[in-house]
Amino acid sequence: MPDEVRVPVECETDIVVARQKGRELAAASGFRRTEQTLIATAISEVARNIVVYAQRGEIVLCAIESKERRGLKIVARDQGPGIADPELAMRDGYSTTNSLGVGLPGARRLMDEFELESKPGQGTTVTMCKWVR
Amino acid sequence: MADRQVAERNLMAEMQITDANIERRKKMVGLTAADLSRISGLKEIVLAHVDESTATFFEFLAGLEEAKGLVSKRDLMERARQLKSEHLAAMVQAHYDRHYVEQRIVLGLLYSEAGLDTRAFLGACHALLKNTGMTSMKHFERSPLEGFESFMSLKKIAFFDIGVIMDVLVFERERVIRQQQEAIRELSTPVLQIRDRLLLLPIIGVIDTNRARLITESLLRAIRDNRAKMVVMDVTGVASIDSRVANHLLQTVSAARLMGALVIVTGVSSEVAQSLVALGIELTKVNTVGDLQGGVEEAERLLGYRVVQTPPAAAQSS
Amino acid sequence: MPVPILKQGDVLIASIQAALTDHDLLTLRDELADRVGRLRAHGVIVDVTALDVLDSFATRTLLGIAYTARLRGAETVVVGIQPEVAFAMVQLGLSLEGVATALDLEEGLELLRARSQGGRDHAG
Repeated sequence: MPDEVRVPVECETDIVVARQKGRELAAASGFRRTEQTLIATAISEVARNIVVYAQRGEIVLCAIESKERRGLKIVARDQGPGIADPELAMRDGYSTTNSLGVGLPGARRLMDEFELESKPGQGTTVTMCKWVR
Repeated sequence: MADRQVAERNLMAEMQITDANIERRKKMVGLTAADLSRISGLKEIVLAHVDESTATFFEFLAGLEEAKGLVSKRDLMERARQLKSEHLAAMVQAHYDRHYVEQRIVLGLLYSEAGLDTRAFLGACHALLKNTGMTSMKHFERSPLEGFESFMSLKKIAFFDIGVIMDVLVFERERVIRQQQEAIRELSTPVLQIRDRLLLLPIIGVIDTNRARLITESLLRAIRDNRAKMVVMDVTGVASIDSRVANHLLQTVSAARLMGALVIVTGVSSEVAQSLVALGIELTKVNTVGDLQGGVEEAERLLGYRVVQTPPAAAQSS
Repeated sequence: MPVPILKQGDVLIASIQAALTDHDLLTLRDELADRVGRLRAHGVIVDVTALDVLDSFATRTLLGIAYTARLRGAETVVVGIQPEVAFAMVQLGLSLEGVATALDLEEGLELLRARSQGGRDHAG
């Protein structure tokens, strides 16, 4: 299993590809079924954000290691319009597209570490990590 | 055999035996280039006495009650002897790489499997070293100082080996402890089927995020495996229910509902209920019934059970 | 990838076989809306047993299916949500509020039967 997998996200079918690859890598890293599902779901949310807001971007999946444990890092990157108010975007229920508004804050709840970097006109990068318990 | 190889590989990875790691270990016993050449000088004499040295090691163990786990098992002993001889020969080759360390990990795993007491192991190592020391000094009779220095160099690599094997024993012991903790966690979140389609989940003790997660996962799997439609979740024994715990419980109820099961929460005292309301936690979405008995009766009623009391056996006459 | 939709009595059963794209989900929603009306179905069962992920979009679509079905006089039951999926959904904050759920197809049909007979509802 490679340490890093890049999935281009340009259309909605890529969302399924990204989350299935995420599940595979999670399984190889030693995550239990439940945690694999959490990871796949989080990937689905951020991948869809790319498709809906930026049309194209990529998801990079990396197996990571710290002193005592293994984990998975997911970077969802796009060159889209960016988020004007990242703090607002991270609030439950907030949505600019009449969705359920759980995408970003929801993904954060599913993962152990979560970082959002975005400026209007400069695209968006979401970095999330989960560690094997 | 395949299982053992998998265990070896996993342990190598866990112990992070990289080249850098090996250099650190050499540094920690103070191994230098000068040592290597002195060790080479001892090669012939050590190789000539490999069988004797191996015998010394295991004879010492045979005399200890604490080593019974290993000594009493013939197949393990045979394999251990084999490995030990190979190790002694490898020690004086003055080439200590990943393969060298792997060999010692294999022996360490064997000792762990046999439950070899670490003190007994150290005692046997000492006996072996003493024996080797005597042999070396006899060989260097004419130049005792050189003999002493050579032996001290050999001792460094002996301690290198002991370090690896002790690490293996510690890792394996910690693995057992982790497994036991996992088993305890499982036992502490029991889901009981008390009737067809009805599960009872008594929660006792402190609920932190991790435990709440485990409880939820256990319950959901049990709902699927038992095809349960009702769950009575009793929280009488929960140490303290603050907003965090309450949210965990609400999540459990929501998740169960997604699988078609209704959760009745029992054991929420009126004080707890009031404090939760004050915190803004909506209990209206949750069925709460006073006590466990009441909860079970309500669940049975919803499932369509009717409890009928028959006259006691003693009252029946011929 | 079309989702097979069967009719059993006056209940439509949609069995999702594999991961669906957003487009497939929307197509399913429209198909069900159409058939509920045409075939005068009184119940809809969406079987998601085969889905290993139910994200916010899928959940929204399921809510949409239930809403449209109700407008046309049919009750919807979502069945087969797996333990890991249910867990992920509540962590994400999704609840399928207002839509009935059941463990599997058999339970779903039973639920619809009980409701149409004015029976007690056990879940949802």
